Amino acid sequence: MLTLLFRSFIRSTGVKIGLGFLLTAGLVSLLVGRQFLDRQHRHHREVVAAQQADLRQLAEFNSKEMGLMLYYAPFALVNETLPLAGLSIGQRDVNPSIQRLTIRGLEGQKYDADLNNPSNLLLGNIDFSFVLIYLFPLLIIAFTYSVVSEERENGTWRVVAVQSRNLMGFIAQLFAVRLAVVLGLLVLLLGGGVAVLGLPLDAPFWLFAATAVLYVLGWFGICFWVASLHRPSSTNAVLLITTWLGLLVVVPAAVNQYLLTRYPLPEALATTVKQRRGYHEKWDMPQAPTVAKFYAHYPQFKHYPLPNTSFNWLWYYAMQQMGDDESARESGELRQKLYQREAASRQFGLWLPSVHAQLRLNDLARSGLGNQVRFLDETTRFHERLRLYFYPKIFEEYPVKAENWDQHFVETFADRSPIRVADFLLPPLLFALLLAGLGWLNFRRHLYHL
Amino acid sequence: MRFNNQRLIARHIRHTVFRDRAVWGLWLLMALGAGYAATVGWVAFQQQRTTQVHYQQEARRDWLGNPDKHPHRMAHYGHFAFRSRSPLSLFDGGMDRFLGNALYLEAHKQNTVNFSEAGFSTGLLRFGDLSLAMLLQVLLPLLIFFLGAGSVATDRENGTLKLLLSQGVSWSEVLVGKSTGLFAVGLTLYGPLLALAGGLWLAALGGAPTADETLRFVLLALFYGLYLGLCCVVAVLVSAVSRTTKTALVALIGWWLMLTMVLPRASQALGTYVYALPSKTAFQSAVQADISREGNSHNPDDPHYAALKDSLLRAYHVASTEQLPFNYGGYVMAEGEKISAAVYNKHYHLLLARFGQQNQFARTMAFLNPYLALKNLSMALAGTDFLAYSRFQQQAETYRYALAQQMNALQIQYIPNQKRGPTEKDHAIDRKYWQDVPDFQYRAPSVAEVFRAEWVSVAAFGFWLLLLFFLVRGAAHRLSVL
Repeated sequence: MLTLLFRSFIRSTGVKIGLGFLLTAGLVSLLVGRQFLDRQHRHHREVVAAQQADLRQLAEFNSKEMGLMLYYAPFALVNETLPLAGLSIGQRDVNPSIQRLTIRGLEGQKYDADLNNPSNLLLGNIDFSFVLIYLFPLLIIAFTYSVVSEERENGTWRVVAVQSRNLMGFIAQLFAVRLAVVLGLLVLLLGGGVAVLGLPLDAPFWLFAATAVLYVLGWFGICFWVASLHRPSSTNAVLLITTWLGLLVVVPAAVNQYLLTRYPLPEALATTVKQRRGYHEKWDMPQAPTVAKFYAHYPQFKHYPLPNTSFNWLWYYAMQQMGDDESARESGELRQKLYQREAASRQFGLWLPSVHAQLRLNDLARSGLGNQVRFLDETTRFHERLRLYFYPKIFEEYPVKAENWDQHFVETFADRSPIRVADFLLPPLLFALLLAGLGWLNFRRHLYHL
Repeated sequence: MRFNNQRLIARHIRHTVFRDRAVWGLWLLMALGAGYAATVGWVAFQQQRTTQVHYQQEARRDWLGNPDKHPHRMAHYGHFAFRSRSPLSLFDGGMDRFLGNALYLEAHKQNTVNFSEAGFSTGLLRFGDLSLAMLLQVLLPLLIFFLGAGSVATDRENGTLKLLLSQGVSWSEVLVGKSTGLFAVGLTLYGPLLALAGGLWLAALGGAPTADETLRFVLLALFYGLYLGLCCVVAVLVSAVSRTTKTALVALIGWWLMLTMVLPRASQALGTYVYALPSKTAFQSAVQADISREGNSHNPDDPHYAALKDSLLRAYHVASTEQLPFNYGGYVMAEGEKISAAVYNKHYHLLLARFGQQNQFARTMAFLNPYLALKNLSMALAGTDFLAYSRFQQQAETYRYALAQQMNALQIQYIPNQKRGPTEKDHAIDRKYWQDVPDFQYRAPSVAEVFRAEWVSVAAFGFWLLLLFFLVRGAAHRLSVL
């Protein structure tokens, strides 16, 4: 019976077109992912080469003063791009994956934007997560909106109802065939991803796949429930498309708008204005109080005395440090708000399968806001390490030539924040089970309403 | 007689549509969406405007509050350009969310525009924007498709079409009548939504709009109206060629998905593939390399600056730069600023040209996809498109350059040329000069400039209108009744 159902299903042209379209879109998404990963790797290689060349050249031009050398010298930190990011680009196209910093004030450099075309960002990527989250549900809708209703409309349902000994089993088989085809396609695309993007078959990958499967199951749950409502096919179609619109276009956009106004970020501009003032006003003040504040921040440098000159590097870097120290409160608040936004969107994700899928896939691909904030945190630590390493050398007037600049490699940040499997799998699983259960009850009630 | 038939058919559509209770539900949902979009949009607009004005003023106060000092310190103190939102962004946010908001303007360095809303967004960012423009661009056409799918096909299914045509009504009357009827239905949403947009826009302006601003709004209304008409005609045509309402509905939903969801992203992917961008590192390295080639003021043996020095010494008949009658350091800095700004601008324009190619590619796609034509025109008229943004960046760079050179000129003129000893205090000039620097003001491009940038979109719009006109005419001769 199942094979017969399968054959009659797969033979229809509509089904073939749908599958062909989704397969094409899926393959395109893998190529887009490949292109994205290649670009990230190219940028990484370029910054490694540029750092070495720049440091060598700067060391030659500024060989007399360590302080001047470090005024210019840029050091790069790279946010590692996992192969999974090729499947779910997230906000990695918006946020730079490379930070190049001098040891001067951090707040003035930390948020530097990448070079990108806003028109492209606006239209968005066709990555695998888009295909999964937007297009797979459409295929599922197209496959299932008329499953029982059409048979009723054509009058064949009576025949089936009379001849079948297990009508519920028959309905389940109708859905099972469609589910198998859709999951087959999903597995095929993920397999393609392994081949095209070189995805390692590690735990995050399997969790990624499981999240994707559960998302598909959630949509089957919705369709199963709608089919159980005992409505005509065209009503089903409109209902399902409206649900799709709600879950994918209207509600998440409305939620995002809400979050942006609920947690506005005046702190961003506050930080940057404060930081400028904190540093620059020190030029008009006596040196000693500024340096005293610097000693208070770094007691370990107290033994470097303040030279008696109208300009010296100790004072200069103390001034720079004050820009960061005096905007620290705003900067901390900004960071706090970002975490609040992230946490709030997760709350909504518990109720909206589409949002859940997008956020969780980004989590695994390390391409969401959480990763970005952690990268910014690591940027702060990286900058601090550089300062602690170079401050003594500047204050001691360590010769520039004596420093081995080639050993200052580009560093990489690998985001290893913990992942709780239950957060990924439980919400969509419950969602799918709930809808399937409701649908089951409905079907039983209407089973012999022919 | 002819006109009467069309009017009758149109009225019939209107009546049947509104008889359905489900339609009222959809209208209610649209109204709720519009109300929500308007409210949240307004709150966000006010928040952002307040913040932007507050910090723009604070930055200016900080600048003016500087005491007497060396002008080069002021060149480094610099200024901020905070991007202000256009009043029509309340209607169509366009790419606002992806654009940076704060640009630090200082001597020697062209900074990036930082703090875009997108950079601080969660993964929800990818689900797009809920604005009045989005309702009119995306959801209203879908509603029209829902309602229009059966416009002719239902008549065919229940046999009324045969009756209608056998009684002397022509095909073109049916098509035009049904389209106008559907259009009238669409107007019941289009009208209120646009009125709401107009109200928000006037409230944001806070005064009477200028001629340019009024023209923008009128053109927006016009293009959205045309697009609505276009969707109605498409719905009726598809319905007329479909055997059943169901096939018409499936075809229309399929087209809608392709045009609004899939093709825009696909054209973006293709555009970036064909016209690749350099990385930021590569861009910066290229700028740096060119500056070094032109003359590096940090390099003590640089030939360009050596030649500059020699020519000055010769012209003023002096033996060393310390004997020059003006501040030599300021002169060198002005030269360095000139060179580095020119090199940067050269590379920046190359980058802009690249962006331009990508954008033009996406615009040309509007010949395949009328949705893109409307989207691009709408953003451009609302002042939330790439043109407005790149104007902001360029004006800010012009301001930065003028500021730096003004400070260099002050240094050349008022700072003594003799080097000071290591313990001597820095030379300073009076703080009154800081007031001579005007605050940064962004000037939006005029409607004429907008059209110059968007002519492809307008052409594509015209192309679609013409195409549909001929399709309707052709269909009127070729359609079958059965």
